[in-house]
Amino acid sequence: MKDTAAFEARFLAEHQRSVRMRRWRGIALNILGVLLFLAVWEIIPRLGFANPVLFPPPSKVLEAALPMLGSGEIPWNILVSLGRAGSGFLIAAVLGVAIGVATARAPVIRDLVEPLLHGFRSVPVIALVPVSVLWFGIGEGAKVALVATGAFFPIWINSFIGVRDVHEIYLRSAACLGANRWQTLRYVVLPASLPFIIAGLRQGIAIALIVLVAAELAGARAGVAYMMSMGHQLFRVDIMFAGLVILGFLGFAGDRLFVALCRKLFPWYRPSA
Amino acid sequence: MPLISIEHVSHLYVGTGGTPSWALRDVSLGLERGRFTCLVGPSGCGKTTLLQLIAGFLKPTAGSVQLDGKPISGPGPDRSVVFQEYALFAWFTVRQNVEFGLRVAGMKAAERRKRSDDLLAMIGMSHAADRYPHELSGGMRQRVAVARALAIHPQVVLMDEPFAAVDALTRATLQEELLRLWQQLGLSIVFITHNVDEAVFLADDVVVMSAHPGSIQEIMTIDMPHPRDRGSPEFARWYARINAALHQDPKRKEAA
Ligand SMILES: Nc1ncnc2c1ncn2[C@@H]1O[C@H](COP(=O)(O)OP(=O)(O)OP(=O)(O)O)[C@@H](O)[C@H]1O
Ligand SMILES: [Mg+2]
Repeated sequence: MKDTAAFEARFLAEHQRSVRMRRWRGIALNILGVLLFLAVWEIIPRLGFANPVLFPPPSKVLEAALPMLGSGEIPWNILVSLGRAGSGFLIAAVLGVAIGVATARAPVIRDLVEPLLHGFRSVPVIALVPVSVLWFGIGEGAKVALVATGAFFPIWINSFIGVRDVHEIYLRSAACLGANRWQTLRYVVLPASLPFIIAGLRQGIAIALIVLVAAELAGARAGVAYMMSMGHQLFRVDIMFAGLVILGFLGFAGDRLFVALCRKLFPWYRPSA
Repeated sequence: MPLISIEHVSHLYVGTGGTPSWALRDVSLGLERGRFTCLVGPSGCGKTTLLQLIAGFLKPTAGSVQLDGKPISGPGPDRSVVFQEYALFAWFTVRQNVEFGLRVAGMKAAERRKRSDDLLAMIGMSHAADRYPHELSGGMRQRVAVARALAIHPQVVLMDEPFAAVDALTRATLQEELLRLWQQLGLSIVFITHNVDEAVFLADDVVVMSAHPGSIQEIMTIDMPHPRDRGSPEFARWYARINAALHQDPKRKEAA
C-alpha cells in the first residue's frame, strides 16, 4: 500500500480530533452544569420562592465576597484553613497508610485490631470535637490534631482492607520469584492495594474538610468556617454562603488535584473521576 | 536421584461440613532433571494440590516432597510457577515483570536488561516491552508470565494449565514456543493440563491421575522425537492410550 503513511496520518489526526472533541465536550458540560446550578439558585429567591436575605442569590453573594477578596480577608482565611486541613491530612495520610499496612500484614495484629477498627469507623469524628476542645483547647495544634484524627480513620480502614485482600496469586508469584518480606511489601502489596489506599485518601480529604469546619466553628480566630460564624453573628447570610461556596470549591479542587497526582504517579492505575 | 521426589504424600483438606477430604492419598513420584512431565487427570483429582506442594505453597499432611534431596520448606526462586490466571503484576510493565525476580535478587540493571532483552526476543515480545499487562492480549500475557518464570533460571518450572484460557491457535503457538525454550534452556518442567492433545504434543512423561482420592493411576513415557506431528498415526495412538487411561478410572464413570 503506497499511501500507508498518508492513511495513518489521517487516522491519527482523526483520532486526536475525536479525543479532543470528547474532552472539550466534557469540560463544556461540566461548566454548563455549574452554570445551570447557579442560574436556578439565582432565580429561586428572585421569583419569591425564598427570602433573599435568608437565601441570597449568587449575585449578592459575589457582591459581598468581592470586597473581602480585595481586602485579602478571604484569601487569608482560605490560607489558614488550607494550612490546617493540609497538615492534618498529611499526618493522617502517613500514619493511616503506615498503620493500615502494619496492622493488615501481621496476622496476629490483624486479628487483634480488627474489632477495634470496625468499632471506630462507626463513631463520627465530629463527636470528638468537644472532647478535643477540653483536652487541647482551641489552638492551632488542637485543630490540626482533630483533622488528622478524622482523616486517619478512613485512610487506616481502607489501607487495612486493601492490604488484607491483596490477591493471593500476587503474593505467591512474588514468593516463588524470590522476593523477601520487605520486597513483597514494597513491590507487590503496596501497589496491589493502591486502589483501596487511594479511595481511603480521597475519603480522608473529604472528612478533613468536615472536621476542619467543625473545629473552626468550635472556636477560632481565622479560617473559612470562622468567617462563616462571623457572618452568622452579623446576620450576613451572604457571607455565610460565600464560605459555603469556598468550602465546596476547596473540596472539589483538592479532589481534582489528588486525582491528577495519582494519574501522574501511577500511570497503570485509573482512579474513576 | 530424581530432581523432585514425592514420597508417600497425602494431603487432606477440611471439606464442607467439617469432614476431612483426601485431595491426595499416598502419592509417590520421582521427576527427573531436564524432563517435560505432564500431569493429566479428571477435575478435582489433586493436580493443583500436587503442584502447590512442589511449589511450597502447601505442606503435605503426610509424606515428604524433596528437591535435590532436600525437603521443600516454602516457595523459592529454584521453582517458579506459571499460574492459570493472569498473575502478572498489573503495576509493572512487561519488562519490569520479566525482570522482577532478578531485581529482588539484586542483579544490576544493565545485566537484568540484557537477560530480559533476550527473553523478550525469544517470546517475540520485544516490541511490547514497555506496555502494561492490561494492554496485552491473553496469549501475550501468558508469554510474559512464562518469561518471568524463566528469567530467574529456576531448576523447575511449574505450570498449572497455563494455556487453558487462550484460544486454540494461540495455544498451539505457545506450546511450540515453550518446547523451544525447554530445549534451548535445558529446563525441567511440570505441566498440568486437561487437554490430552497438549500432553501428547509436549510431554516426555505423562502422569495420569485419578480422583477420590487423588492418586497416580499410570505413568507413560512418550518417546516420540520433537517436533511431533499431530497428524501422525503414532500421535493418534498415544492420544488414544491416554484418553483410554483417563476414562478407565472407575470412580469417574460412577460420577458421570
Ligand atoms: N482450599 C481447599 N479447601 C478444601 N478443599 C479443597 C481446596 N483445594 C482443593 N480442594 C479439594 O481437593 C481436591 C483436589 O483439588 P485440586 O485443586 O488439586 O484438583 P485439580 O486436579 O487441580 O482440579 P482441576 O483440574 O479442576 O483444577 C478437590 O476435591 C477439591 O475440591
Ligand atoms: Mg487445578
